[in-house]
Parts: sequence; C-alpha cells; structure tokens
Amino acid sequence: MSELQTAVRTTTAPATSQSQSVGAARTSGPAKVVSYILLGVVILIFLFPLAFLVNTALKSNSEFFNNPTGIAKAPLLSNFGKAWHQGNFAAYVLNSVLYTFAAAALGTVMSLMVGFPVARGYLKHTRLWNILFVSMLFLPNTLVTVFQLALRLHLYDTRLGYILIMVSGVGVGPLLISGYLKSVPKELDEAAVLDGVGYLRYLFRFLPPLIQPVLATVFILQAIGVWNDIILATILLPDQAKSPVTLGLFAFKGAYVSQWSLLSAATIIVALPLLVVYVFLQRYLVASVVGGAVKG
Amino acid sequence: MNRSNTFIFGRRWTVQLTFAIGISLVVIFSIIPAIGIFAISFTDIRSLPFLPTHWVGLENYRTFFSSAQIAYNLHALKNTFVFAIAVTLFQNVLALFIAVLLNQRLRGRNFARAVVFMPTILGVTVVGLIFSLIFNPSGGPAASVWKSLGASSAFFGDPHLAMTLVIVVQVWSGIGVAVVIYLAGLQAIPQELYEVASIDGATRWQKLRQVTYPLLAPSVTANTLLCIIGSLQSYQLIYVLTGPSNPATQVLSLAIFTQGFGGSQGGSVQSQGYAASISIVQFIIVMIVSVATLTYLRRKETAL
Repeated sequence: MSELQTAVRTTTAPATSQSQSVGAARTSGPAKVVSYILLGVVILIFLFPLAFLVNTALKSNSEFFNNPTGIAKAPLLSNFGKAWHQGNFAAYVLNSVLYTFAAAALGTVMSLMVGFPVARGYLKHTRLWNILFVSMLFLPNTLVTVFQLALRLHLYDTRLGYILIMVSGVGVGPLLISGYLKSVPKELDEAAVLDGVGYLRYLFRFLPPLIQPVLATVFILQAIGVWNDIILATILLPDQAKSPVTLGLFAFKGAYVSQWSLLSAATIIVALPLLVVYVFLQRYLVASVVGGAVKG
Repeated sequence: MNRSNTFIFGRRWTVQLTFAIGISLVVIFSIIPAIGIFAISFTDIRSLPFLPTHWVGLENYRTFFSSAQIAYNLHALKNTFVFAIAVTLFQNVLALFIAVLLNQRLRGRNFARAVVFMPTILGVTVVGLIFSLIFNPSGGPAASVWKSLGASSAFFGDPHLAMTLVIVVQVWSGIGVAVVIYLAGLQAIPQELYEVASIDGATRWQKLRQVTYPLLAPSVTANTLLCIIGSLQSYQLIYVLTGPSNPATQVLSLAIFTQGFGGSQGGSVQSQGYAASISIVQFIIVMIVSVATLTYLRRKETAL
C-alpha cells in the first residue's frame, strides 16, 4: 500500500524545475512537419465532436433529418431558449452549483483538518491514520450501504444528505495534502507558535495560502466529481426538484429522444458554464491536477 | 517514530476537535458504509426501510454462483475485464504518445493540452450525449460514413459493437488526466541527461529507450494503476451510453446498480443484500488485480 502512496506522491509532488521545459528534443525539418500533422489530428479528434454538437444545435429538427451532417444553413438560436424552458434547466443548474460548491469546499476543509495534523505527527497513531487515508482509495462499491445509511439517518432525498455523502468521497484529498505538506518546513509551524498564533488560526488562516496549489487541486478534483455525478443523485434524490443538472439532462434525453437539435442545445446549455470556466482557468486547472507540475 | 508528544501549539483540544470533525465525516459516510457492505452481504436487506431483515449466511454468494445466475455473472465479469484491459491499454499507450508529442516545442501545443483535458471537465453525461449524437443510427456522422461504405449499424444498439464503442468513448474522455500525468513525468526529466546522451552519440530511439522510458516508469505505474482500478469500477459512462441493463455492456458495477435499485435483467432476486455480495466479489477482484499489477510494475521499475 505504501508503494501506491509513493506512486501518488511522485506524480503529484510539486515539480521544482519548470523553466527548462524539457524532455523535448529540438526537432527539425521533416520530423517537425510530421509532429504538426499529428498535432492537428489530435486537436481534430477532440474538437470535432464538440463542433458537431454546436452545428446540430443550430439546425431545425427538419433540417437535421434532411441533412444530418451538413453545416447549418440558417443558424437557429431558438433551440436554446426552447431547451432551457422545456428542460427546466434554471432549477437544475442552481442545484448543481449548490452541490458542487458546498461539497467541494467542505471536502477541501475536511481534507485539510485531517491531513495536516497527520502529516506533522501532531496526533497519536500517525501510521494508523495514514493507512486509513490510503485504504480510502480501495474501498468497495458502497452504493447499497450509502443508500441504507441515508434512509436510516433521515438524509434520504435531502440536499444535506447528498452533500455530506459527496463530501466523504474526497478519496485522495487527505493523502494529497499530507504529501504536499512535506514541502512546507515544520519551522514555519514553530515560528507561528513563537508569534503566539494558535492552532486554529494557523490551520485556517496562515496555512491555506502556503499550500494553495494542493488545496486548489483537491477542490477541483472534488468539484469535477460532484458536478459529473449521476448515479448517487439517481439513488439518493428521487425528488426531481432537487436533481442536479446532469440528471436533468439525462431526463431530457429520455423525453426528447428523437429531437436531436433540441437535445444538442440542451447539452450545450449544460456544458457551456463548464467550458467557460475551463477556458479561463484552463492553465491553472490542468496544472493543479498534478499539483502544479505542468506549466505551459 | 512515536512523535505524539511533539504537538507545539499548546492546548491539544483544538487539534483533536478539528481532526475529530473531519475524520468522523470520513468514518460515517465512507468507512462505515465500506465495512457495512461486508455485513449486509450476509442479509436479505431490501430497499424499503421497514421490511424485516434476516441473516441469510452465505445465501447471496451461493446465489451469485448458482446455475441460475452464474452465466449472467460470468458474462458481466468477462465484460468488466474486457472493458478494463482495453481501456487501460489504449489509454496508456495513446496518452504516452500524445504526451511526447505535446512535450515538443510546437505552436499550439498549449491549446492542444487544453483540448485533450476538456472531456474530463465536461463529464459523463455531456460526453455520453455527444457520442449518442455522433453514433445516432438515423443520420449521425458515423452512420453517414457507414452508409458510404455500403453498411448500416445500430451502433450502441448493436450487441457486437456496443462494447467497442463504449471503450472508444471512455478512452476519449479519460485520456486527458493520463496525458497530464505523463507530461508532468516528462518535464521532471532533467535536460542534461539528453545532452549527455547526445555527446555519447545516442540516437533518438536510444534516448527514448535509455533515458525517457526508465525515468518515466513511475508515471507509467501510477497511470496504469489508476486506470485499472478506475475502469474495473467504472460504469457511469456505460450507464449513460447504453442504459443500465444492456447485456452487451453489462459490467459488475452496473449489476450492483440494477440488482440493488431495479431495472433488473436476467430474472434475479434483487435484494440489496445480493447487490452487496456483488460489491464484495468486485472488491476482491479489484484488490487482487491492483496488487498483482503494482508488484509487476514495481519489479519492472527496479529492473530498469
């Protein structure tokens, strides 16, 4: 198990040398041309599905059936409004924003609260807690017990219950944080003590800016997981008014199964906020997934 | 190693309190359900809360291996392995290839990195819908290509093709994380090693074989392991693409879902106790496979 811990750490530890960007041999001539062709192919493979989606969303349904693959002749924006109303996406998006933000924030704070003292050995049984953190990566599928637990704690079909259960899915959070803390010298803790800073103030006020990259990583990993969840929401939130946007989209697919233009518009509505956030945070996001190791 | 007395912040209750709050969330919603799954796999618990629950011993496991269920379960098991092996293999090889490409000094590589990682952000439902559209049998782009070749296909509705397509979509959507991990690994290799190799007259291939590959081995281990564990347990994308009970793409995780929460296929009992026993069988398989993989890759790493 400890090997996996090292494996996780080696790939997530902050890289020290970023300026000399690197394993890249200086290619020239024909090799370069081949590289550019391959680069084009890669970009095409990942962008084509999205372009097709947008193209379809701009067609009328009859245009789609007459000419499914052609480029939209008279781009139609009305599909978006129609999908937004018929899919009731306003409520779903609000739910998803609430779940994602609450669960990711709580999960990050929780990972910090348990990761820090264990990394520093401020508690008894450090080894035991470390083993617990690693074993959290290997837990069996708990759909059934999570459902039963929610029922018995009266958290079934409640927003709070769903959030709490998503929070505990942090998985690698404590492990990432305690791994990253190895790069923060313990002398800082001691200096804080000398300055009369208490534990709580140190943990919640002084430490977070110092370990921002790993906190951002935990938050983002958690947020991606919560925003994209569909199974737990299906099981735990039968009330449609509490559904996250993924379930709303899935239900929409069932209801408008043959109206591909409308479905495409609905898909874009759900994807757009993510894409916008991604475009602006992209460098930071990609980098933070490996703990700030990759920079453009 | 006992450093329990080194707490330097004075009053101990502050650390104990914050730790207790955090750890109790983990224990209640993560550890207890994990242990509970063992316990209730020996019961006939059902989804309704107030029905009497009985201890049934090994009954659920007997059912799992009974003649009525074994064909269905072996089929799900086979699908799980096919899916996991294919996804791990293709995802790792392609990710390594893309990472090496995107690590070169090329215009547009940052854009390409962003684009490759994008599906991770979009998530299973959006990705699932995009590919339902592309493989739409009545006039998606894939159908047009098929048609021009004089063939037609139901794609996700075709039992011979469904699994292959699901694997393709899974690789497409999951490759970004693997690429990023490989890029991080590549960037951690000091440039000097390549310069030394050049002075020694090493060819491009020799540099790849003697410098890049050995130093990248930890990333390979991490990626392989993450991918195997992930894909042995994964089912959300399959659920979105082909539904919860399509026999062609039935995997163990989906069996847990259908047996425990309805939408059943294969004429079975569906108590949640039975679903729990499938969870345990799956858990044991994941443990064995991941320990075996880790041992193999570690041995290979030290041999390099």
